[in-house]
Amino acid sequence: MIAKEREILGERLEGKRARIDPSLYVLAALIVVAAAFTLVVKDKFYLHVLIMIMFYAAASSAWNIIGGFGGQLSLGHAAFYGIGAYTSTLLFINFGISPWIGMLAGGAISVIIAAIIGYPSFRLRGPFFTLVTIAFAVVLRILAVSAQDITKGSIGLSVPFRPSPQNFIFRDLSTYALVALGFMVIMILVSMWIERSRVGYYLAAVREDEDAAQALGVNTTRYKLIALLVSAFFTSLAGTFYAQYIAYIEPYGVFALDFSVLLAMIAIIGGMGTVWGPVAGAFIVTPLGEFLRANLGGGLQGLDLVVYGTVLILMVILLPGGVVPSIAERLKRGPKRKTAGATAAAKEAP
Amino acid sequence: MAAVLAQVAVSGLLLGGVYALISIGLTLIFGVMRVVNFAHGEFLMIAMYATFWLFQLYGLDPYVSIFIVTALLFLAGLLTQATIVRPVLRGSPAMQIFATVGLSIVLQNAALIVWKGDYRSVDTAYSRAVLSIGPLQVGVSRLTAFVVALAITIALFYFLKKTYLGKAIRCVAQDKTAALLMGVNISRINLITFGIGTALVGVAGAVLMPIYPVFPTVGTYFVLIAFVVVVLGGMGNVTGAFLGGLIIGLVEAFSGFYVPALKEAIYFVVFILVLLIRPTGLFGVVGAEEVGLK
Repeated sequence: MIAKEREILGERLEGKRARIDPSLYVLAALIVVAAAFTLVVKDKFYLHVLIMIMFYAAASSAWNIIGGFGGQLSLGHAAFYGIGAYTSTLLFINFGISPWIGMLAGGAISVIIAAIIGYPSFRLRGPFFTLVTIAFAVVLRILAVSAQDITKGSIGLSVPFRPSPQNFIFRDLSTYALVALGFMVIMILVSMWIERSRVGYYLAAVREDEDAAQALGVNTTRYKLIALLVSAFFTSLAGTFYAQYIAYIEPYGVFALDFSVLLAMIAIIGGMGTVWGPVAGAFIVTPLGEFLRANLGGGLQGLDLVVYGTVLILMVILLPGGVVPSIAERLKRGPKRKTAGATAAAKEAP
Repeated sequence: MAAVLAQVAVSGLLLGGVYALISIGLTLIFGVMRVVNFAHGEFLMIAMYATFWLFQLYGLDPYVSIFIVTALLFLAGLLTQATIVRPVLRGSPAMQIFATVGLSIVLQNAALIVWKGDYRSVDTAYSRAVLSIGPLQVGVSRLTAFVVALAITIALFYFLKKTYLGKAIRCVAQDKTAALLMGVNISRINLITFGIGTALVGVAGAVLMPIYPVFPTVGTYFVLIAFVVVVLGGMGNVTGAFLGGLIIGLVEAFSGFYVPALKEAIYFVVFILVLLIRPTGLFGVVGAEEVGLK
């Protein structure tokens, strides 16, 4: 049964590959526009907003690999984010190791931690899995606060300003923007690859009906674990990027539940379990927050989050699939339009 | 040493009473609707602010405010159920989780805008009063919170066992289809249960106010503990939540005594272990496992 399914899906895939994937056009256009924006715009605030959009698009895409494609709702991704930020920063401050290498070291540690967390947790479903991920991030935060000899506790760590390419510290924002763009593009490509690969189809099966997937012989734990490890690795890279960009980290910031929620929220608003969902979500949500924060200032601190929360509630109730799938649906319904691409494929997945 | 340990144990139990009181509503809602209310902590925050302002503006004693705050939170619960939770009850777990997560974000930050981040507390005559029982010191307001928690647990237990409404609630919790066939109006039961669940956290907010200060993110702190307690006691198990609260209170008191820096980490590790080893909780009932694992 599954073999036949796979054959049909395989054919469908081949068919897609024969033409050039429409997603690639979107990606190319995105790269051109973002790069042009980066090179033309000199206004610091707009560049910052663009960096944050691309940063959240990448980080939320990383969350989406396990949360969206795999349907395992982690609200503990701040754990990997924090590990990434602290590993590269500590290696840089104490041993002068380039954050580019520290980033990979952090990624490796996150993968190991993710395996330790994930393997036993995948027995749990729905809210139980979510709760255990929250608890892991909280424990790591407490450890980061209490290990004062290493992390300086809640005082936090500053990344010394020594601009140079190998230090991952730049004088101008546009270089950060290009790095963020590269990160986002990598995440989109990884998501596209996962969605079209066998792993992606198994994950879709797990997401839709885990018992059925298991009954059909899918090793559900294995594929969930693969997705979590990939997701943890890239979330960790996001942590390093943030540390290098903001140049200051502290436990309550990088291990925050709010950050985990934000990643999930962006993916949900854009469309969980789709390649373009987190990207669209980041383009919708991030500027909203940045502009509200910049224009309303301290007097209405928190208003951006009130808006976020309201949008989240409305989305969940009114448009539970997210923005991207509903647009794709509309495009698909049009006569002879096949541009829905990635998202349509996700819809058809078992 | 024995006296010190006894003192730690008593403090732990009293603290546990507070935790139990916060957790009971959460577990009740989960038991009936299978929805984890991530905004539960924010309801606690609102209850505490309501108590604070009743005291500040009208001079109402927090223990008198209990009745007003509880009624207020009951209504807030009804409203939440009708507008936010009901539409997602048939949805995926993601929708259920994020509907209440969204509510939590909105309430927390609305509180931040309206009341700022300041810590506010109520200072009553009994806030710092201490009873001496032999060698033990017992804070009056903590003892009150404990007694209220115990009374509420017992009252809720009898309500669920003996009254028609209580039986209907248990019926929906155990088997929705059977409940429907027996003529139970499920959406009405859901509504009432959500109201009761948040009303209970209203009680918790009022009795907590003489002990803890209130600030916009106070709910985050307590809701995480409530999750620990609820899972430990078995999701949906009211008596379990009470006992779970006491256990976490004791764990916190003793770990605070021996390893102060890591006291929070310890009960979260307990939480993770319980989830991983026995997700039905320590007092899980037959059938609860299915609830937990689906």
